[in-house]
Amino acid sequence: MSMAFDILLALGIVFTAGTALGLRDRIASVTGFVITGLLIALSFVRLGAPDVALAEAAIGAGLTGALLLRSALRLKPAEGSKSPALQRFLAASIATGLSCALAWAVYTAPGTALYPALVSEGLAKSGVDNPVTAVLLNFRVWDTLLEIVVLFAALVLVRIIAPAVPQPEALGELMLPFMRVIIPVCVFLSGHLLWQGATVPGGAFQAGAMLAGGFLVLFMGGLALPTPRVMAFGKALALAGLAIFALAALATEALTGTLLFYPDGDEKIWIIAIESALTLSIAAMLYLLFCGMPRRPAK
Amino acid sequence: MSAVLYVIGLGLMTCGVVLLLIAALGVWSLPSAVSRLHALTKADSAGLSLIALGAACVNGRLDALLALVLCAVLVALSGATMGHLIARSHVSEDEPE
Repeated sequence: MSMAFDILLALGIVFTAGTALGLRDRIASVTGFVITGLLIALSFVRLGAPDVALAEAAIGAGLTGALLLRSALRLKPAEGSKSPALQRFLAASIATGLSCALAWAVYTAPGTALYPALVSEGLAKSGVDNPVTAVLLNFRVWDTLLEIVVLFAALVLVRIIAPAVPQPEALGELMLPFMRVIIPVCVFLSGHLLWQGATVPGGAFQAGAMLAGGFLVLFMGGLALPTPRVMAFGKALALAGLAIFALAALATEALTGTLLFYPDGDEKIWIIAIESALTLSIAAMLYLLFCGMPRRPAK
Repeated sequence: MSAVLYVIGLGLMTCGVVLLLIAALGVWSLPSAVSRLHALTKADSAGLSLIALGAACVNGRLDALLALVLCAVLVALSGATMGHLIARSHVSEDEPE
C-alpha cells in the first residue's frame, strides 16, 4: 500500500517537474515548480526527514515560488522560438549525467551508519534534544554561519541590481479580514517553530520563512510597503542576525578558546539566542529579497 | 471504542477523498474559469476538512485534533480568500471598468 503511494509520489514529482520545465507560460511553469516542491516535501516526510520537509515546503516551494512569480511578472512573455537544440541537448546530458553519477554514488556508498552514532553520542552535551538542531547549531554551526553569509550575499547582489519594486494592486475588501486572521497566526506559528526546534523538527530557517510569508501577505495587502523607514529597519534587522552570529562566534573564541564551541552547560542559551536573532534576520532578508530594495530617488 | 473511531475516521477520509476527486473533475471539465473556481473552492475546503476530521478520529488524540482543526480552518480561510481574489482579477480583466 505505502509502496504504491511512494511510486505514485515519485511519478508525480517527475511529471510536475516536467511541466515546470516544458510549459510555455511562465506563470504555469512556476506553478509546476511550486507543486513539485510540495511533493518533494511530502517525499521527505516519507523518508523520515520532517526537518528537511518543513524547510522544503516553506522555503523551497513557498518563498522561492513567490520570488519566481514576482520575477515572472516582471519579465516579458516568453519569445516564440525555443532555445537552440544544441543548448537543450547539452543541458539534458549534463542533468542526466549528474543524476546517474548521484545514483551510482548513493548505491555504491558503504552505508551512512557513521553519523547517527556520532550525533547520538554527543546529543546529551549539545544543549538540545533534536539531533538536526544539534548538528545545525552546535556540531556544525560553522556551516550555518556560512549559510547566513550566502543569504546575505544574495541580498547584497539584489541591492546592487536594484530591481523595481513590485506594485501591489488593490485586492478588495476581503483582504483586510484575511490578514487580520493570518498575520497573528504567522507570528504565532513562527515563534512556535523556533521554540520547538530544540526538541522536535523546526528551527530558525523554517520560523524565518513563516515570518517572511506573513510580511509578504502584508506587502501584497498594501500595508508593509517598502517605504524608506521600513527599508532601513529591514536592513538593520538583516544585518543584525549576521552581526550577532559573528559576535557570538568571537565571544565563544574568547570564552572557550575554540571558535563556536559553546561554554560548558550554557549551550541551550547560546543556541536559542543565535536562533532567535537568525529568525528575525532571515525573515527580514527574505522580505527585502522580494521587495528588491530600490535605490533612493536622486536628489 | 477506538475500533469504532477508526472505522468512522476511515469513512470520513473516504468521503473527503471523493469530494476532492469531484473537485478535480470539476476543474478538469467545467467550461469557464469562474465555474471551475466554484467547483474547486467548495469541494476543496469540505474535502480537506473531512480528511482532517477522519485523521483525527484515526489518531484519537486531542493535540492531534487541535493541530488538524487548525490546518482545516487555515485551508478553508485561505482557499475562500484566494478563490475570491482569483475571481476578482478574472472579472476585472474581462470587463475593464
